[in-house]
Amino acid sequence: MSKRQLQLLPLMLLSLALSSMAAAQVADGSDTMRVGDMQYGNALDPRGWTPVMAPGQEGFSWLHAGMLRTPTGALYPYPRDASETPLSAGSDWTYWGLLQLGYIHLNGDKNAEFFRQYSDWKSGFALGYFTLNFDNRRTGQYVEFRGSRISDNDQYYRLRAGKYGSYKLEAFYRDMPHTVSTNAYPIWNGIGSTNLTLPASLTPGGSTPAQIAAASAAAPRRNIGLTRTRTGLSLEGELYRGWVGSAAISNEERKGTRLWGGPMFFAFGGLAGGVNETVRPIDFSTTDINLSLRKVGKVWRFVGTYNGSFFRNHKDHLDYQSPFQLQNVLGLPQVANIYQGEYSLEPNNDYHNLRLDLSRELKWNGQFNVAAAWGTMRQNDALRPPVTCSGVIGIDMTPIGGPNYTVPCGNWNTTAALSQKNANARIDTGLFDARVNFHPSTNFGWHAGLRWYKEDNKTRYLAYNPLTGQYGYISENGSQGSIVPGETGIFDPRNPLYWSSNVTVRNVPYGYTDTLFELGSDWQFGRHDSLGVTYTFDYNEPKYRERKRVDEHRIKIAWVSRSLGDATIRASYEYAQRRGGHYNYDPYTQFFSESLPGFVDPATGLPAHTVADMRKYDLSDRNESKARVIVTYPFGDATTVSATFYGNRDNYSTLIGRQNTQSTGSTLQWDWQPSPRTTASAYLGIETSRMGIANVGDSDAADNGAGLGTPGQTNPNLGGPLYPYANQWWEFDRERNTNAGFTLTHDFGRVRTDLSYNYSGSLGHVGYNYATIGALAYRGPGAAAAAGDGFPDNKYRSNTLDLGINFDFTRRFGMRLFGRHETGSFTDWHYLGLDQTLSYGSRIYTDKGPQRSYSVTLLGAMFNVKL
Amino acid sequence: MRAKSIWLAPLSSAVLLFVAMCLVCWSPVMWAQQTASSSSSGLSQSDIARMLPATDMGANDARNRDPHLRPVSDNPATPFDAATVPKNPLAPNADAVGAKTCIACHALENVQASHSLHVASFRAGAANTGPQAACESCHGPGSDHAKNPTAPGSIIAFTHDAKTSAQTQTAVCLGCHAGGARQHWLGSVHENRGMSCTDCHNPMARQSPEGALAKPSINEVCASCHQDIRAKFNRRSHMPLPEGQMACTDCHNPHGTITKPLLKTDTVNETCYTCHAEKRGPFLFEHAPVRQNCLNCHDVHGSNQQTLLVAPVPMLCQQCHTMTRHPNDLQTTNGLGTGMSPDERIMGRGCLTCHTNIHGSNNPSGPKFHK
Repeated sequence: MSKRQLQLLPLMLLSLALSSMAAAQVADGSDTMRVGDMQYGNALDPRGWTPVMAPGQEGFSWLHAGMLRTPTGALYPYPRDASETPLSAGSDWTYWGLLQLGYIHLNGDKNAEFFRQYSDWKSGFALGYFTLNFDNRRTGQYVEFRGSRISDNDQYYRLRAGKYGSYKLEAFYRDMPHTVSTNAYPIWNGIGSTNLTLPASLTPGGSTPAQIAAASAAAPRRNIGLTRTRTGLSLEGELYRGWVGSAAISNEERKGTRLWGGPMFFAFGGLAGGVNETVRPIDFSTTDINLSLRKVGKVWRFVGTYNGSFFRNHKDHLDYQSPFQLQNVLGLPQVANIYQGEYSLEPNNDYHNLRLDLSRELKWNGQFNVAAAWGTMRQNDALRPPVTCSGVIGIDMTPIGGPNYTVPCGNWNTTAALSQKNANARIDTGLFDARVNFHPSTNFGWHAGLRWYKEDNKTRYLAYNPLTGQYGYISENGSQGSIVPGETGIFDPRNPLYWSSNVTVRNVPYGYTDTLFELGSDWQFGRHDSLGVTYTFDYNEPKYRERKRVDEHRIKIAWVSRSLGDATIRASYEYAQRRGGHYNYDPYTQFFSESLPGFVDPATGLPAHTVADMRKYDLSDRNESKARVIVTYPFGDATTVSATFYGNRDNYSTLIGRQNTQSTGSTLQWDWQPSPRTTASAYLGIETSRMGIANVGDSDAADNGAGLGTPGQTNPNLGGPLYPYANQWWEFDRERNTNAGFTLTHDFGRVRTDLSYNYSGSLGHVGYNYATIGALAYRGPGAAAAAGDGFPDNKYRSNTLDLGINFDFTRRFGMRLFGRHETGSFTDWHYLGLDQTLSYGSRIYTDKGPQRSYSVTLLGAMFNVKL
Repeated sequence: MRAKSIWLAPLSSAVLLFVAMCLVCWSPVMWAQQTASSSSSGLSQSDIARMLPATDMGANDARNRDPHLRPVSDNPATPFDAATVPKNPLAPNADAVGAKTCIACHALENVQASHSLHVASFRAGAANTGPQAACESCHGPGSDHAKNPTAPGSIIAFTHDAKTSAQTQTAVCLGCHAGGARQHWLGSVHENRGMSCTDCHNPMARQSPEGALAKPSINEVCASCHQDIRAKFNRRSHMPLPEGQMACTDCHNPHGTITKPLLKTDTVNETCYTCHAEKRGPFLFEHAPVRQNCLNCHDVHGSNQQTLLVAPVPMLCQQCHTMTRHPNDLQTTNGLGTGMSPDERIMGRGCLTCHTNIHGSNNPSGPKFHK
């Protein structure tokens, strides 16, 4: 779809919708059918409604005290104090509104990453809230507007208008910030562009670690993040005698930066490659279109929907200069400085999905539903050349009597080196879902369902260079082949230097077909208890994966009880057993050069690229148990206590790979609402979780086994020479999360106060053990002695205290004074040391990570005018 | 003065109604009728009309003024003004008495409900239809309730102490709201758990900006049961739900869908792509777990790791990557920035520092996501 067509789409949709409004009759909206934009709020008021929800003092009814409860038992809040004013004398139109305008002042660590994560706080004037609403009581027409603005990058405005039961129009504009880091020190020029160049103090491909460290120390601090600017328009109304149509279009402009990478081969283990943490640009446009048509009859119900999404990346690549001087492992002179790296960023893509849903009412209080959908996602972006270098790459070993592993860049730095110029990538999806439900009596019901879903990946790519007749690609911008002889990434059946190179030559078009059958029944015992049992069989057929078939049997038992006093208890337990067909630990041969004619096995055979006893966790045998109990208990007229207890256990039947996960938790909530003047609540939540994995180091060097390049390396089995038991290791991640908080509001008359406190804390510990030091990345005596049994704990804590006081000067005018004090602390072993230096030999980092601790205070005063 | 009249009007109506009901209920005729047929109201519409205050409420006003108006459709799901009075299984013989009768007692409820979209829509619709519109379109015929207001089940009620079953409650709502986003309500997990519409919605007062919710916001409604999920959003890494920029219903349709987690689209990935369209691709080189299911690596409700990951890097990757050479080494504190041998495989963003295009690469040299 061209840009011009995209621009015209809103107009086309608007015309279509307006032309349909002549005899509009529609009961309700299709919002919950569409993804996104259901909530308009910000950190100042996450609800987007708080300023107008002060309850009136009359309560809800003169017939009973307090508020009624939901069927489950939670108290409804007291109705807000609402009053409308006639637009003019005798008019059917009334209006009400509120304007809240004021000043926000920040003190302390206002740049703290966690404080700003999704809020663009700034000291200055802010539109706290603005809402204006018009209603016509006779015709049911209405116009509603609300908005708020913290800053240019953090604001929303939403307009709704329509006629109850007839039509609805909605338009919105919103800016949503996302801060990724406030502690970034990139060394490059051109941040935010597609071309990162080094500062004058550094020589591309030729700088010393000291020079790089100095450049990093001198780099200015930057924020890394983005802003999502979304606009949208939707209309809904009756097209013809009960056929209701809706049309929605939205556009998002996402602009900013994110942390990115930049490999020039390894820097660990004494290798002289280069590792760059760079910054990529974000410059996306996405236009989404949703059209729906529905008809609800007494017997038949129909919904047809079309979803289209058109993503455009205005900066589809990133070029960067690496400062590091590469050095080959042989110590020979480098044939050239390799410093130019490149990423292809996300390609433009188009998505279409058409879905039809049909339901029919049946006898015995039954219903038959069938849904069918077809979708396609496609992109055909021009491909970039395999490499951007000029001159030559590789290693010339002729000075020491070896082969010449150099490769002319000219053969690869052009799109003429590709077998195809465009990606021509496409995945089609298909869905069929049918189910029947019957409730022949109030005490018994049953249902059955069948779902079939297929994802067919039609993308085919062969990495073949017609200029050279070679297969493969240039690995890591040419750096790998310039450090390790022969590891350029090329396979050439005519050249002994490359005829044993086992490299990727085809893409893997992953896809799957999933068939799911479900049968369930539920019984009502007496008036207060019901029991449901559901059996599900999931038959999955992944393509080009280790298993061709994965089956899962699942049974779920659910119990709902209202027989224990006033409490409502909802409990469920499910058990699932996943098995499958033969597990082929290496199904990828056909995508590597070893499958091509002319491939010659190395003298010692191809190393088994992974261990045969490994089971990937999305395919491995698994037993799963889940249990959950939710209790809601009303106490008297004003109090509700609710609690949740839950636990999951997953055990994977494997020696290598994910072995188990488990989590156990509970929450407790207390709500108190004695009168419209006073409300209070408190909550506590605790959860612990654990994940365990096992792995095995291969014998990649003499000090942890036979080593690569020796006989026996083709043996994939655990316990063999390549994957010896001695190299096994185990790792677990334990986490504990605690949440607590309270809220209190009280109305003193002309003064209303609100107080809230929230605490969130997590503690994570990654521990490990190993069979012998053969498993370790670093096996020297000093390193082995210092290996320990785990990483330092990761901690995250956040405390937020909010206090607000509202003064009503008159019925119309008032003032809100509010304050927030937020403190936090954070440690994560990934970032240990980075707050001291971002330069580590042949590595240069950009992000120091979130602040170790922060404290920030926000004070605000808002003038309120009731309109 | 205005506040005083608000109090006086319904009070005087309530007193009058009470007196009228007492006179009627204790009259010899009524006593005889009640004792003869306790299961039926035994009242005709004309009886009720005679006993109770007039019930016009402006009903049929538009129709009376304009006889050429298009006939009201009997379609049960679209126009509010065609809403029928549902049968109450617990009061099968009750008759409709009209909104004004209800308001005689439920005066404050009427005031509060008038601010809600739901009742306002009935009000507007009442001009085009009969006197039953409004209260009895949801609560069923009210004669039994009017006779004996405290009798359990005499009216269709939607609250905790109601005798009306959840099925009857939802059937009432679906009488107008069937289809569309609620096409798959029957058989959905919320239906199976005995949830009623009024567990999440309160059409009797405007307590939320939209959606006639039972709490001021969507997320508070969902959190009233899913407290553990709400708590996960407090973790270090989360989507902007606590900041008010997202709602649970951005991804889930609580009214029922064809997926178990009530997703609005057909799969997890399609839901994620609606905001993260750049991840949709397809890419020249795909990463198997990414294409299969975003949840393989991300916990979308909140995580203690960077970018919603389910485990710390490199542990996350090492669950699958046991390949020869560098992926399968056990990293220890030696590899940290403060360790003896700082190692890019665990520092900062770990594996992703080099395999950055982990969601898929469109570069001919990107099969390992370096490019």
